[in-house]
Amino acid sequence: MKNFLNIFKKEIRELLTKQLLIGLVFMVVMFIVMGSFIGGIQEEAKEPKPVNLAILDLNKSEYSKNILNKLTEQNKLKIELIEETDVQEAITKAKEKEMKVLLIIPENFEKEIKEMQGTNLKIYSIIDGFSLKEAISGGTINRTISILNREISLGFIQEAFPGKNPMNVINPLQMEEFVVIKGKISSGSPGMVEALVVSQFLIIPILLMMMILYAGGTIMTSMALEKENKTLETLLTLPVKRISIVIGKMAGAATVALMMAGVFLLGFRYYMSSVVPKVPGGSDLLESLGLNMSPSSYILLGISLFLAILIALTLCMILGIFAQDTKSVQIMNMPIVLLVMIPLFILMFKDVESLSFAMKVFLYAIPFSHPIIASKALIFDNYFIVFMGMTYMVVFAIALMVIAIKLFNTDKILTAKFSVKMFKRK
Amino acid sequence: MKALEINNLIKDYGNFRALKGISFEVNQGEIFGLIGPNAAGKTTALRIISTLLRVTSGNVKVFDYDVVKEASEVRRKISYLPEEAGAYKNLSGKNYLEFIAGFYSENGNEKKELLNKGIELANLGEKIKNKVNTYSKGMTRRLLVARALMINPELVILDEPTSGLDVIISQEVRGIIKDFVKQGTTVLLSSHNMLEVDFLCDRIALINKGEIVETGTPQGLKEKYKANNIEEVFINTIK
Repeated sequence: MKNFLNIFKKEIRELLTKQLLIGLVFMVVMFIVMGSFIGGIQEEAKEPKPVNLAILDLNKSEYSKNILNKLTEQNKLKIELIEETDVQEAITKAKEKEMKVLLIIPENFEKEIKEMQGTNLKIYSIIDGFSLKEAISGGTINRTISILNREISLGFIQEAFPGKNPMNVINPLQMEEFVVIKGKISSGSPGMVEALVVSQFLIIPILLMMMILYAGGTIMTSMALEKENKTLETLLTLPVKRISIVIGKMAGAATVALMMAGVFLLGFRYYMSSVVPKVPGGSDLLESLGLNMSPSSYILLGISLFLAILIALTLCMILGIFAQDTKSVQIMNMPIVLLVMIPLFILMFKDVESLSFAMKVFLYAIPFSHPIIASKALIFDNYFIVFMGMTYMVVFAIALMVIAIKLFNTDKILTAKFSVKMFKRK
Repeated sequence: MKALEINNLIKDYGNFRALKGISFEVNQGEIFGLIGPNAAGKTTALRIISTLLRVTSGNVKVFDYDVVKEASEVRRKISYLPEEAGAYKNLSGKNYLEFIAGFYSENGNEKKELLNKGIELANLGEKIKNKVNTYSKGMTRRLLVARALMINPELVILDEPTSGLDVIISQEVRGIIKDFVKQGTTVLLSSHNMLEVDFLCDRIALINKGEIVETGTPQGLKEKYKANNIEEVFINTIK
């Protein structure tokens, strides 16, 4: 235990460098800045500031004025009427008044509308740049035209059916949706439930991916550093059991990785909460449908995640034995990245049960699939698949651990070589 | 009891035979030099004695403990300094010595004692608190020699202890080793620096292409081959 703690402490000191801490702080700041920026733009889009809209009313009728007034009332548009008769002059004037959009009401607007011929509005967008904000003001124009269309249609319907609610003509069908899950009924749409479940549990595969990538990379780097800094031989001649070295290194890497993943998740959570709009009453809906995980489910999920991380660490430790230097770590990390990414992307969008038999076998064989499968299965109380996955991961982890300790006891630890130079032409 | 007994040691790397049945013994309290050119098999032999590599055939015993079957016991007796050894760059010199002392002490006081001894041997002054990545090659080597000696090993194995160091630092390192041996520790070192061998070693074994070609005291070998120095002895033996 003393030796394990000594190695563990050394690993933490060795891995927790100033550069790493600065990188972590930078990552969190990036998330916060990005989240605030994108969130701010979305807030603006939700509650648009009055759009400066220049209008050249060539019709100049009471009808056109009434329609334009309704537009102002509904959409808080800052309307500037342009008096010029020529389009080019109107554009120049609009630009001078820093208007972004020029809407031209045609001369025969009232006549064509009332005769139900349809009319053609010309809209000139004055673009100074191509930022996200410009795109949003483009969206506002479309909504403005929709409001105009609706107001004109409502006018027709009111004329034709006095005393009736024109909205019941435009949208005669209304719906009330319910979802039934695990025998429980609650109002809501399947899309809404799916979005809630995905947003609730998206964090699990992402946490897994980050932990595995960080921890894997860290332990491989640690092994490569031992070789690069010529410290491995000394370490192996110390009166320490090989298992203490293996576990001490793994625990050190896992702790640093946990810290990195935790900081990443904090930043990521902040970013997501700023970017993804919250569904009102979402957590109540999940609770009423029994889709919230119980404490025991969280424990099972934690064990599943721990086993996956243990496997990744051992696998990376084995690969790290072959790493000759820190440069080769980046290449050697690739198989692990693929083994994590494949189940992550497939299972984020598809349920394992909906896949073909061959695909199911393939995914079940990858140990990193199991925590992702478990995160969904636990919601539906499907414990069998969770326990099967955990058993498989335990066996897998023990087998890898035995291989790692055996390799540490052989010449391979010093003689095995893999270097990026092997790929370079002589 | 011999400090080291090697009997017909063979080591193969795939099809390449690095050691072709070497045998020699090291007595307790002596400085024994394994001398030979590059790729003669010196490092392979030292790595086997240090329990890093497995033997293909033959016997290697350190204080009667077999290096393969009783590797843990052997590791408690020895201290090995590889030729191009380094220290953990993100640790300070003091932290590095503390880390090593942690494996050889039972309690805090013992650990402190070993650490103080290491700091004294390294003789780096206040720089012992600086990170290893700020050290020069000479400072790192002094730290590593201190690391190898501070734990009071019964057998110190030094692979080219002064390799790549300038004359002054080399002289300093040799002085540390020579002084340390006065406490009764056994030293096995490898070198291709014949002057160093003459200065340090009580007995030497000359190794070439994986075979021991001669063993004896430096003086005895010089007389036997009517040579002025060990370099001439070595050239005569491999002719």
